[in-house]
Amino acid sequence: MSAPMDVTLDKRIGFIGAGQMAEALARGLMNRGMITGSQVCCSDPNSARKDLFKSFGATPYESNVDVAKNSDVIFIAVKPNYVAVVLEEIRKGGALTDKHTVVSIAAGVTLSTMLQAAGPTARIVRVMPNTPCLVGEVAAAMCLGGKADESDEKVVRTMFEAVGKIYTVAENLLSAVTGVSGSGPAYIFMVIEAMADGGVKAGLPRDISQALAAQTVLGSAKMVLETGKHPGALKDMVTSPGGTTIAGVHELEKAGIRAAFMNCVVAAANRADELAGVSKL
Amino acid sequence: MFASATATPKESGSMRHRSFTAGTGQRLPARGLTRAAQRRPCRVDATAAAATGAAPLTKRLGFIGPGSMAEALARGFVSRGVVAADMVGCSGSKSGRNRVFEEFGAVAYDSNLELVEASDIIFVSVKPYNVVKVLEEVRPALTPRHTIVSVAAGVPISTLLRAAGPDTRVVRVMPNTPCLVGEVAAAMCLGGRADESDEAMVRAMFEAVGKIFTVTEVQLSAVTGVSGSGPAYIFMVIEAMADGGVKAGLPRHIAQALAAQTVLGSAKMVLETGKHPGALKDMVTSPGGTTIAGVHELEKAGLRAAFMNAVVAASNRAHELAGP
Repeated sequence: MSAPMDVTLDKRIGFIGAGQMAEALARGLMNRGMITGSQVCCSDPNSARKDLFKSFGATPYESNVDVAKNSDVIFIAVKPNYVAVVLEEIRKGGALTDKHTVVSIAAGVTLSTMLQAAGPTARIVRVMPNTPCLVGEVAAAMCLGGKADESDEKVVRTMFEAVGKIYTVAENLLSAVTGVSGSGPAYIFMVIEAMADGGVKAGLPRDISQALAAQTVLGSAKMVLETGKHPGALKDMVTSPGGTTIAGVHELEKAGIRAAFMNCVVAAANRADELAGVSKL
Repeated sequence: MFASATATPKESGSMRHRSFTAGTGQRLPARGLTRAAQRRPCRVDATAAAATGAAPLTKRLGFIGPGSMAEALARGFVSRGVVAADMVGCSGSKSGRNRVFEEFGAVAYDSNLELVEASDIIFVSVKPYNVVKVLEEVRPALTPRHTIVSVAAGVPISTLLRAAGPDTRVVRVMPNTPCLVGEVAAAMCLGGRADESDEAMVRAMFEAVGKIFTVTEVQLSAVTGVSGSGPAYIFMVIEAMADGGVKAGLPRHIAQALAAQTVLGSAKMVLETGKHPGALKDMVTSPGGTTIAGVHELEKAGLRAAFMNAVVAASNRAHELAGP
């Protein structure tokens, strides 16, 4: 997608759990020329996943302890209910040192849970990524725990900026992040489908309507990201007097879509808090 | 303004001159090349050119009306290696827009007629109400080698042909604003003597700056409703998602950046996975999870009907503006 970056990452990256997210991250870093496959190792109960990682030059291991022993940055990419188990396992195996950066992408697993399992001197970084990581455009946030410091933050930032964007927040804001970027893709898939339906209603063939809708959504988001202009100002710029665009905008305002999106972000954030066991009075 | 990853400050003050055999007009002297580039000039991005696999066009492009859309297209074509900068010309500016084009190596002409004489593909990017006047003006210089590409909203092919001559190769394109960041969503239709080679050429150019589809002229109003007007809908969505994030406790700049990046990545998933958006939505809504809670709110609010209504309303307005 982009030209290779000048930055190289001279760390060994280990993935405990070699699923799609792990693969997307490994490939993203390699495509940017930041690491080579030889810097990557992984473990996974599924041999097909180990074979896949092997195919791009990574080293598969049977044991999580071996992954930890051969990495500087340990990615915990297992299902949330296994995270603590895995951390205890590598700690007990004597493989977890105070030099390791431990990165968890498991939804809903708190820093305190992880520190309990990994020990209080562990450097833990908790990341909330999102599905578009798979196409190299993640929207993610991280928070630091235990002995994690700016150097750990920098490593994790470097890794995730190879596949999109990441921001640092306090842990109590991760629910809000979930509401916006964690759950956000579903909202946009709906928008794209509905715009495509509108195009079909107006006479376009489905395939063209959907492609135009998706490409329009992509380009519009890119305008917000790259121009640095306020979305409201951008909307003003493209609504000419009595034109087609303001007619469309009016329909969206009539339907209250702004409130709808605020409601959905808040609902998802609240659900994230519930799942994390946080009570909001 | 342009955040092209390949833009760099111009190192040398080399001037580009294009010689042409036809016509007797004067060429504007190249000027302002030592001017500090507030606009970032572009150069050919060899990587991108190699990636698109396209050999540069051997045709000469001319832009009548060098406004922001024209500039975005020209820069995009040049930086992606679709055409060499010195194969690009412009004319028709009263307000010094020519300098902007010269800064990235294009050639400015004194008159529209001279531009047409020196070009093969003519982009008509003036305001819609000036299109007829411009085409009538350059009609004497039009030959069978010329292709006219109009990006003017609401100017039908019949009008273009009446002004330019019925045997002209005409391609009508409906682009959209994200052309300015190299991600246009566009559609074209052919008229007059335009044929598959014209279509292929216009496709090659626009695919350097996004995506383009061929439709019938009647369908261009629908295209307007989706991609022409679509950006405004998405700016609203991003602002509203950011507002939701702020309500939930995020600082504004992070909420907005996450919202915009999420919208970008989600669209990319639809484009690249080839999966149905409904199937993608299913894939990310885990049982009793956060996402389905959000989705429920959007369904309660009738989001789908709202967007259908928006597209249809904009499309209907486009029909009205196009006249009987």
